[in-house]
Amino acid sequence: MALLEVEDLRTYFKTREGEVRAVDGVSFSLEHSKMLGIVGESGCGKSVTVLSIMGLVQTPGRVVGGSAVFQGRDLVQLKGRELEDVRGHEIGMIFQDPMTSLNPTLTIGTQLTETLRRHLGMNKDQARKRAVELLEEVHIPNAARRLDDYPHRYSGGMRQRVMIAIAISCNPKLLIADEPTTALDVTVQAGVLDLLHELRSIHEMGVIIITHDMGVVAETADDIIVMYAGQIVEQATALDLFDRPEHPYTEALLEALPQVEGEGIREGRLRSISGRPPDLLDPPPACRFAPRCAYAGQDDCATVPPDLREIRPGHWVRSSHPTSERAAAPVGAR
Amino acid sequence: MVVDRRADFEASLTRTAELRGDQAGGALQRASLLRDAVHRFLKNRAAVAGAIAFLIMVVFVTITPWLSPHDPYAIDFGKAYLRPSWDHPFGTDDFGRDLFIRTALGGRVSILIGFAATVAIMLVGILYGSLSGFAGGALDNGMMRFLDALYGLPYLPFAILTLAIFGTVNFWTMVVALTVASWFTTARVMRGQIITLKENDYVRAANALGARWYRILFRHLLPNTLGVILIFVFLELPGVILGEAFLSFIGLGISAPKASWGTLAQEGYSSYLAYPYIIIIPSLCIGWLILSAFFVADGLRDALDPRSQEA
Repeated sequence: MALLEVEDLRTYFKTREGEVRAVDGVSFSLEHSKMLGIVGESGCGKSVTVLSIMGLVQTPGRVVGGSAVFQGRDLVQLKGRELEDVRGHEIGMIFQDPMTSLNPTLTIGTQLTETLRRHLGMNKDQARKRAVELLEEVHIPNAARRLDDYPHRYSGGMRQRVMIAIAISCNPKLLIADEPTTALDVTVQAGVLDLLHELRSIHEMGVIIITHDMGVVAETADDIIVMYAGQIVEQATALDLFDRPEHPYTEALLEALPQVEGEGIREGRLRSISGRPPDLLDPPPACRFAPRCAYAGQDDCATVPPDLREIRPGHWVRSSHPTSERAAAPVGAR
Repeated sequence: MVVDRRADFEASLTRTAELRGDQAGGALQRASLLRDAVHRFLKNRAAVAGAIAFLIMVVFVTITPWLSPHDPYAIDFGKAYLRPSWDHPFGTDDFGRDLFIRTALGGRVSILIGFAATVAIMLVGILYGSLSGFAGGALDNGMMRFLDALYGLPYLPFAILTLAIFGTVNFWTMVVALTVASWFTTARVMRGQIITLKENDYVRAANALGARWYRILFRHLLPNTLGVILIFVFLELPGVILGEAFLSFIGLGISAPKASWGTLAQEGYSSYLAYPYIIIIPSLCIGWLILSAFFVADGLRDALDPRSQEA
């Protein structure tokens, strides 16, 4: 059985202008010890997806349908109190900005031990001992001494390591990282990603990593989900996705990436995707990418919504014009 | 004057909160803030003078009763209405009691009531305001409308009514009366603070780690409001002392032979034409304390406000 099985998850936000369908029928599953990357631009619903799984969606947002079965329990149905016991204990979470995710008025030690004491019922000494081990595990030098420091003495990268230490402190089976490297500079990013990779194999955790940066997931993730306008548009193993992207959106995203090395380096200017992400209050009626798609022609792209279909084993795509089914380049494009 | 300063202070708090939100490295900024704050406070001459004046008054009321050779309650009509002299620096009253020691004792009562009531106001205001802000939604709305209704009622009749309900006036009923009449502003400001702090990432993080609500409120949010609370102590204190003095002056104060500054002034009122020093001295003491507390509050506000980082 899969570690996490998300089925037709729907999260809507009720606003004055209408209902925003931030997550609209998302399904995926994550196996033990696997790393799943969720990629997409701002506002595509990737964060809301994981917040829905954690039960952290704030009003006016509400999970209106679907299920998220984690180790046999549907998280969507759990009551607040039961969910609190799951959060931080069986599911750990890391946030985007390490500079603000730690409370400036509490020492690192206090913030580390409070989770241990809360979920594992450790006493002060046990928790402290474990906290030192955890800091060592995330490669903070002088862990025992640095435990009593306040967050301002830590650099951004170190703080993100502390956040990771807190997230894994109770040996969760699932770790969710919401843009864990966005706020860090490039060299520190690599270190944090390596650490996540290392911890995943040591603790045998499933990891969901959310990012808008294809480069982040390219080397670390096993599977990748590409989201667009609240829906999954493509899902495949990382290798297959980068080698043979099927959805026009994924294709365009990859073409918008600067490439420094590798076979067949593209020459010339980087391409950008024309247009803007759709307004989720009033999304395009059928294929949500149609207005920006280079291949949406006279056919039924604007009337019949495409299904997410398996174009080859393990590779799912939601498009009427996947790369491998296109005969020739469309008129007027590229 | 009291009201003006509070409104002013509330406005500056809002600006401060907005400013903090804008700073990506807010945590770092705030960490060095404490040292900066002490530095800035010490460079503010008015604030330092206020703090020294405040301390002088506290020291005066604390040690004088131990050092003075006179009995504050001994009645000796032969010594009535003596003018200030070396033996009696503040003179004597109509019963021949030494006013120097009585002023100090009265100051003890006034300042103690002031502090006790301020602490009580803080407790009630912080609890009410932070719960309201933290809960949000309908509960918050209801609690704030209730507060608005209380705001509409005038301060002194409120305190007088409370005292009337108790029937007796002593230290504790006085504290309760003053608290009941003046905890509203603290509650409002705390609510605003909690609402801004609630949006912080570390609160989200604590939530994601399964922390219960009371832990988030008491462990993560309240310690971050310490600076504001500190300022508010010194803003509330003068108002409370003034309130106590007023209540005592109109005859609702601590009963004789004990005294507070308010009752001392009231005793002097009957003979202020012939012996003006009896009313002037306690009045000056009240003014001294209130002014110095305001200067301290002003200095603290400037020191803890990240906008005022001029060299």
